Amino acid sequence: MNTLSIALGTSLATALLACLAGLVMPVKWRTRLAGVLLGLSGAAGVLVGALAVTGMVWRAELPTLLPLAGVSLAADPLSGWFLVIIGAVTAAAGVYAIGYAGRTSHGPGSRTAMAVVPLFTAAMLLVPLAASVTTFLLFWELMAVTSLILVMTEHRHHKAVRPAAIWYAAMTQAGFVTVLIGLSWLAAATGTQAFDGIREAAVSIRPFAAGTIFLLCLLGFASKAGAVPLHPWLPRAHAEAPSHVSALMSAAMVKLGVYGVLRLGFDLLGGGLRWWWLAVAALGALSAVYGIVQAVVATDLKRLLAFSTSENIGLILLGVGFAGMLARSGQPAIGAVAMAAALLHTANHAGFKTLLFFGAGSVQRATGTRDLDKLGGLSHRMRVTTALVAAGALAAAALPPGNGFISEWLLLQALLHQTPNAGTMLAIAAPIGVAVVALTAGVGVAAFVKMVGTGFLARPRSDAAAQAAESPPSMLTAMTGAAAVCAVLAVVPAVTAPALARVINSLQISQTPLSEGLLDLRLSGISSHIAPLWIAVGIIAATTAAAVLARVLGKARRRAIAWDCGDGPLTARMEHTATSYAEPLQRVFDNILEPVADVDVTHSVESQYVIASIQYRQQIPDRIENRIYRPLVAAVQKLGAAAKRLAPGVMHRYLAYMLTALIVVLVAGAIR
Amino acid sequence: MSAWIAAAGQALLIALLAPIVTGVTRAVRARLEGRAGGRIAQPWRDIRKLLRKPPTSPEGAGVFFSAAPVVLMSTSLLIAATVPFVSTAGIAGSADLIVVVGLLLLGTVALALAGLDTGTAFGGMGSSREMTIAALVEPTLLLAVFALSTRVGTTNLGVIVAAGASDPAAVFTPASLLAFAALAIATLAETARIPVDNPSTHLELTMVHEAMILEYSGRDLALVEWASAMRLAILLGLLANLFAPWGVATGTTWTAVVIAAAVLTVKMCGLATLLAAAEVYAAKLRLFRVPELLAGSFAMALLAVLTSYILA
Amino acid sequence: MSAQISSQLLNVACGLFLLTAVGVLWRRQVSALITLLTVQGVALAAIAVILAEQHRSAEAATIAIGVGLLKAVVIPWMLRRVHQQLPDARETRPLVNVSTSLLAAAGLTLLAYSAARPLVALAPTASAKATPVGIAVILIGFFLAATRQRAISQIIGLLLVDNGIAAVAFLATGGVPLIVELGVSVDLALAVLVLQILTSHLHTAFGPTDLDELRELHD
Repeated sequence: MNTLSIALGTSLATALLACLAGLVMPVKWRTRLAGVLLGLSGAAGVLVGALAVTGMVWRAELPTLLPLAGVSLAADPLSGWFLVIIGAVTAAAGVYAIGYAGRTSHGPGSRTAMAVVPLFTAAMLLVPLAASVTTFLLFWELMAVTSLILVMTEHRHHKAVRPAAIWYAAMTQAGFVTVLIGLSWLAAATGTQAFDGIREAAVSIRPFAAGTIFLLCLLGFASKAGAVPLHPWLPRAHAEAPSHVSALMSAAMVKLGVYGVLRLGFDLLGGGLRWWWLAVAALGALSAVYGIVQAVVATDLKRLLAFSTSENIGLILLGVGFAGMLARSGQPAIGAVAMAAALLHTANHAGFKTLLFFGAGSVQRATGTRDLDKLGGLSHRMRVTTALVAAGALAAAALPPGNGFISEWLLLQALLHQTPNAGTMLAIAAPIGVAVVALTAGVGVAAFVKMVGTGFLARPRSDAAAQAAESPPSMLTAMTGAAAVCAVLAVVPAVTAPALARVINSLQISQTPLSEGLLDLRLSGISSHIAPLWIAVGIIAATTAAAVLARVLGKARRRAIAWDCGDGPLTARMEHTATSYAEPLQRVFDNILEPVADVDVTHSVESQYVIASIQYRQQIPDRIENRIYRPLVAAVQKLGAAAKRLAPGVMHRYLAYMLTALIVVLVAGAIR
Repeated sequence: MSAWIAAAGQALLIALLAPIVTGVTRAVRARLEGRAGGRIAQPWRDIRKLLRKPPTSPEGAGVFFSAAPVVLMSTSLLIAATVPFVSTAGIAGSADLIVVVGLLLLGTVALALAGLDTGTAFGGMGSSREMTIAALVEPTLLLAVFALSTRVGTTNLGVIVAAGASDPAAVFTPASLLAFAALAIATLAETARIPVDNPSTHLELTMVHEAMILEYSGRDLALVEWASAMRLAILLGLLANLFAPWGVATGTTWTAVVIAAAVLTVKMCGLATLLAAAEVYAAKLRLFRVPELLAGSFAMALLAVLTSYILA
Repeated sequence: MSAQISSQLLNVACGLFLLTAVGVLWRRQVSALITLLTVQGVALAAIAVILAEQHRSAEAATIAIGVGLLKAVVIPWMLRRVHQQLPDARETRPLVNVSTSLLAAAGLTLLAYSAARPLVALAPTASAKATPVGIAVILIGFFLAATRQRAISQIIGLLLVDNGIAAVAFLATGGVPLIVELGVSVDLALAVLVLQILTSHLHTAFGPTDLDELRELHD
């Protein structure tokens, strides 16, 4: 019984208590108690992760908990890294839920929702601790089912929730099946289902089998991570779930897809071949570009954030892929930097995406809409929320001094400094990688400027936005906490260096990516370095100095009417909307997006030269969804209709099916 | 301590020079177009005059509007202090190229948000166009950084410029040639020059940068104009020192620094003259043809990376 | 001339050679295309001259001068004449838009680079290392010819292909036999001549030479 098991026990016990509180407490106390308990459970989860990441060895076998296979758990630095992320997001979500769910007995404050959230977070905490195939699959599935229930929370209030839940259910189950097949095959090929045994026996698997297992699991993990083209569930589920659940899903759950790839590829299968990682990097590049191009044209606040999740997962997978390729091409030092970039970006993304989804939740709670075209003017009525969301957007746009910038800088350093002599594959992939990162960075900035600028600034575009009120203190506290974590990661990212070194070491790349030194971020093997603290101090000091000088030496600011071409007064209808803001970029990416626009011109009755009204409608459908998934769904439906003939309602037929199945199984067993 | 003074001195030099550089482009352009034009120091006088006047905020605009000029100015000053314009030693040469790109973008973002914060149609339009251009310039900038950094194995600007200054022949490679072309186009786009934007237009439907800052007046406008001039000077100075790194001091001795400052002034004014001359012969592109230009610069930057592999 | 400076000059010439090919894809004005082609001819001649100097071969120097005359003087002059007879000065409707074709050019260069790596590995000299440039120009030339509508743009595409082949021959082998190179180039000059006559006749008969419209003659 060491500290880690006490912490884990505390975390799981408080989660259970939170679940009970959600079930039995009256409305008045439900969210407060459950939220506080959930926060404590998350904090204990952070402790578990921190202990694991410092190298504390811990394992537990609970053979009686599950019939036949039993449950086996173990902690190592890799699981610790993800536990810290999940725990921190959980803690913030617990606090946020107190104000967000309020004292209502429906929607996010309902009995089911409050009781299932702790189960969901507990399942997430247990996934990285799983140390055998069955345990992993059990918690993976538990996580999927609980998150599905949470996505459906508001199905009575919004029509779009049900299709979102169906998409999510179908895709997450399909992903589960591929992971199931892959891991079962792995267990069969190595003759054991414990991760320790697999690790030792993995060298003896034939390369073809190992490659197929990796690809099968990659499909499942990438669909959980929301990588394009396995993403269609993500913008739906993230948008329709309650905001603290969206934050939990986007900041924590999708990261477990990355965890799966790392655990399987680097740890269990021992690093694999170069083409595996090329496939991962290609998947990442596609997600990054497609995700951000869709995000920049999205007008639904949460849909924008969801597509940005796809983008960030893409960047993480790009880093992971390059780390694998570099490690396999004799450049482990640079590979370690790429891996550090990917890992640090998982933490950074968790930080700022939690903050942004919380912000989106506050906006939705205050105005009742997520449509950017109907928002605006919130900076006057929700000052704190606006400031916090702007800080999150700064980080998400990968601008200095945000924390997103640090991980992108690391990723670019790794891509820039591979030696081209190591092989054609890397020499071609690295410039393309840089181009992808750079394009996503550029378009990402436009997307987040649009989000903040049209969502929060200038005049309100609807009555609901004009009457918005600031969120309760618990929500603001949770957002401030997330922002503080982002700030620490932005200013002193080197605090993570020892942890990163241990995690990367456990991934069998024995290199230290970041050398010592808290203020100056130096890399091993690359002579570039930055001092994030000085950049932040420089910007803040110069800005403050300039502002103070201007205030002291210059004259006072005056209010005036904005230039209205002498035809005023200006109204909110004359402002640029989110749609029009993104229009030039949408034109640039016309070939990728293929928007559907529809213009109706109504002429005046007196003369056809006078126009009475013009109606413009535009839709930007998800092309990948239309091209790949619609035909697939249609085919499945056709198959289902055809399969009806197998079930004519005759009892004899059904009994005959059973007999056939039994005979087939027995014959197969006898032949073997 | 002397390192801090050197950095501050460099920032001051760029801040003082920047309006002069803008003045040179205007004067050259006027002469070539057969006009008398203003004096070279005219931008300085404009800024001085505007600085004395009170700023105005439109109704409904918030803190984003009033903060943007200051943020723009502070990012420009920070870059001016840390990029090796005069000397590659100490703080004055410690900047990382990617950080410089990021800081430039931060300034752009501050102005774009301010444009939206005014709540006018022009502000939104200018902001939208500016961000479109900025989003497409970013890949070119970073790929050009890639091409320049593979030669020396770091993105630290001081090291890159010092390597060029110690071996000027090594700068003259096809990779830097292509990277120069790409960066030059990116510079035009970043500083709102022809053919991407027309700095002297006030025609509502064609302007980009001017539309975004339409509501600024008095001290705010002075800061925006000054910072924009500094961005032009910074980018021209970067081009000059990356591709013609002669005369850059590698130490902090007084004589070397003074000579380097003089050489930098000459190089910047020379580039400004070239820029103005090129502008006279070019026309502004339609906004929707600008991506084509930027795709060209992107392709050149990618080729620069490749040729740095092929023709090493 | 020291070996280092000479190889650096060679690199710059190769860079210019590639840059002009991309420029041809970028610009629409036919007169600008011809200017770019002239510059490319000069770059090709420079490559040949530098290589001849490196090998100290008089024969190679003669080829270089011959190639220079043909590519930088004769062919551009003939193209200008064709151009003067045709008033349609711009490539108005390329089949693939300019941004995409520029990205495609970058992609083709990547392809050329990866395809030439085994070739370069055979003889890793400075000049052999530059062969991907020639291959890239061949690919870009084909791409241009395949995606442009005006007859004159297509001729320019084929000329790019020819320049690319010549560059590959120079860089990979240090020079082709004089007779072969001259034979090929003269062939091409003849082709340009024939096309010139053909297009001018077509022009007088049918107006502008948009190849898509010419297809109607066949139907």
